[in-house]
Amino acid sequence: MVKEELIKQLSTILTEEQVNTDKDALYDAAADRYKKYAKARKVLNVPTPIAIVYPKDTEEVRKLLMFCNANRVNVIPRGGKTATEGGLENWKDTTIVIDALHLDEIIKIDTYNSQATVQAGVALQTLEDELQRVGYTTGHSPQSKPVAKYGGLVATRSIGQLSTLYGGIEDMVVGLECVFPDGHVSRIKNVPRRAGGPDIRHIAIGNEGTLCYITEVTVKIFRHYPENNRFLGYLVKDVASGIKVLREVMVNGFRPSVARTYSEEDAAQHFYHFHENKCVLLFMAEGPKGIVDATVTAIEDAVKKYHEGIIKQVDSTLIETWFNQLNWSQQDIDDEFLGMIDHDSHSGFTTEISADWETIPKIYHNVIKRIRKEFPRVQDLTMLGGHSSHSYLNGTNMYFVYNYKILCEPEDELIIYHHPLQRIIVEETLKMGGSMCHHHGIGKYRSEWTKDEHGSAYYMLEKLKEAFDPNGIMNYGTIFPQEEGLKYIE
Amino acid sequence: MRIVCVVKFVPDVDNFTYNYETHTIEREHSPMLINPDDARALGFALTMKKREPQTCIEVVTMAPRSVIPQLEDILRLGFDSATLISDQLFAGSDTYVTSKLLSSVIRKIPYDCILSGTHAIDGDTSHVPSQIAQSLDLDHLNFIHHIEEERFTCSSAVVEVEGESSYTTFEIALPALLSLTRESAYRLPYVRYKNLNLDVSERLHILTNEQLGFDPAEVGLSGSRTQVVSTHTKEHMTRRKKVVKSDDEGIEVIYTFLKSNGFI
Repeated sequence: MVKEELIKQLSTILTEEQVNTDKDALYDAAADRYKKYAKARKVLNVPTPIAIVYPKDTEEVRKLLMFCNANRVNVIPRGGKTATEGGLENWKDTTIVIDALHLDEIIKIDTYNSQATVQAGVALQTLEDELQRVGYTTGHSPQSKPVAKYGGLVATRSIGQLSTLYGGIEDMVVGLECVFPDGHVSRIKNVPRRAGGPDIRHIAIGNEGTLCYITEVTVKIFRHYPENNRFLGYLVKDVASGIKVLREVMVNGFRPSVARTYSEEDAAQHFYHFHENKCVLLFMAEGPKGIVDATVTAIEDAVKKYHEGIIKQVDSTLIETWFNQLNWSQQDIDDEFLGMIDHDSHSGFTTEISADWETIPKIYHNVIKRIRKEFPRVQDLTMLGGHSSHSYLNGTNMYFVYNYKILCEPEDELIIYHHPLQRIIVEETLKMGGSMCHHHGIGKYRSEWTKDEHGSAYYMLEKLKEAFDPNGIMNYGTIFPQEEGLKYIE
Repeated sequence: MRIVCVVKFVPDVDNFTYNYETHTIEREHSPMLINPDDARALGFALTMKKREPQTCIEVVTMAPRSVIPQLEDILRLGFDSATLISDQLFAGSDTYVTSKLLSSVIRKIPYDCILSGTHAIDGDTSHVPSQIAQSLDLDHLNFIHHIEEERFTCSSAVVEVEGESSYTTFEIALPALLSLTRESAYRLPYVRYKNLNLDVSERLHILTNEQLGFDPAEVGLSGSRTQVVSTHTKEHMTRRKKVVKSDDEGIEVIYTFLKSNGFI
């Protein structure tokens, strides 16, 4: 079916107002924040979708997916547009973007059972604001909080800055509703726990739009005690010293909501007012007062135990001020985009990985060493460092952060700068047994390593794709490696 | 159309070596950049080549051999050929000798127009373009910030020249020497990724005094009619740094600073 006919058909499934074919909107929909510089400079090298559609309910999503499945139209599910790894980038000539704009209802806030049910297009901030009115919180606070929406958060296995206490989104999702390409609607019920076979929530959570379209989510909600929040910060000798303290706190059974260690370079860009060119270790404890007090004591004990790595404590109000200004707003995103039209610079690219406690400092060391030695444009880097920002009983993540002057044409930026850096990070991580993607998802530009990431377990992932999306219409190129997509990567 | 671009490589002003005994820049040991005004001339020439692919552009420069990688990159952008005038004998040449050497080479190249920058960020005398024009008996316009692409032909060009308080449009018969300013919009692109390792060696020509045949007394420091008496580096004022907190007191400090300096 030709493009015009497809658009005409879409307008019969939905209304004309629900089908957007505006040229600028389609250009914007062709890529996400991964190619933000090329997008700002109007040199995207990927096809634009043929339409963005805005279903109003699950039934319309179902009809759309069945139509696309029958006509082999690629589908990109979209929420708040904060994807950073190419998950929203289009690699097919015939693609529609299904945007959750109108799936914007908070269906139920159930404080007695500590859960809330929302449609996919509800912004995280919207639910958070509603919950805070009744003394609750989502416990989820990614930097994209003011913009990101629940469908995308769940589809990408999002994580927030408070994850060390509340967990990632996968720990919060109680149940959900999703639609498969053949039109089947699955509703996973909301129960506290069950042993009814494999936990099928995890087929939808993190599928990145490659298996199904998430239309509704039920998440846990938490009592909120902001008045008890306490912050602690320290200058530390090196990354490994900071990580030692993080580990001590975690393995002793404490769960600060924020637990982070920054390298000197990364600290310098976050904490200009107190970093003194040292690494920074910081914590936030929240929850009931007794738990907060106990957590603070545990942090102080851990700091005492590893005092040889601690340089000094910093004023806790500095940490609090910093934390309260950490999130992006839509205005920040727009300003960054506009800035890139005029300036040949990059305000930061990241690659986030995870590994156990023992391995993470080694990966950090190996990556930094290899980049400094091998990266051909090392002189253009204006910052290279990282931080650990999400800790677990058995390990932590490392968020590699790098800024650079862009001394090339916008079309070549990723291939000259980001890709070689990302390759080093991914290779070193996989070599040491870590995970190449801690919380941004695989998207399109780490799909070349999906098989290496999963090893023999890739079989299970592949079978899911074959079973649920046999025609391969769901978000082509994301998670699952595609040879045809290499032209956009190499 | 045939265009010759005269280009100067200048030291990276943040990182160069100066010989305080001879009062010359040690170009061989300093990272070199294309002079910003000259890059605009190259950018315009490339714009014309994109409009009219038959346009032939030759780049001519006098510099140490250390600029060969930068010249190769220029060729990778699509310039047809480059000539590097380079010989230890030419080191320390003043603008007079430099112009003489450049003119002797350009004279042998067929051209409809010569493009250059107006100023260089190192010496900044702006002698060389005028002296080349004089030597080749060409008209010369400098401070050009715009050239009308559609009226740029083998026989004439319409250009806008920036004055102190106004812009003046001239129509000039070609051949002539047109010198652009860095305020012009003709950006020199970066080499595309696919061309980064393109072999351009066949299009790069290096000329030494063996080919040019000047008397050694006529070139370099000994041939120069001007000598630098003394040079000193500028002393930069160190600004006071004050770190304030993002509280009411800090906001007041910044507000007062901005207000007292007329920013708000």
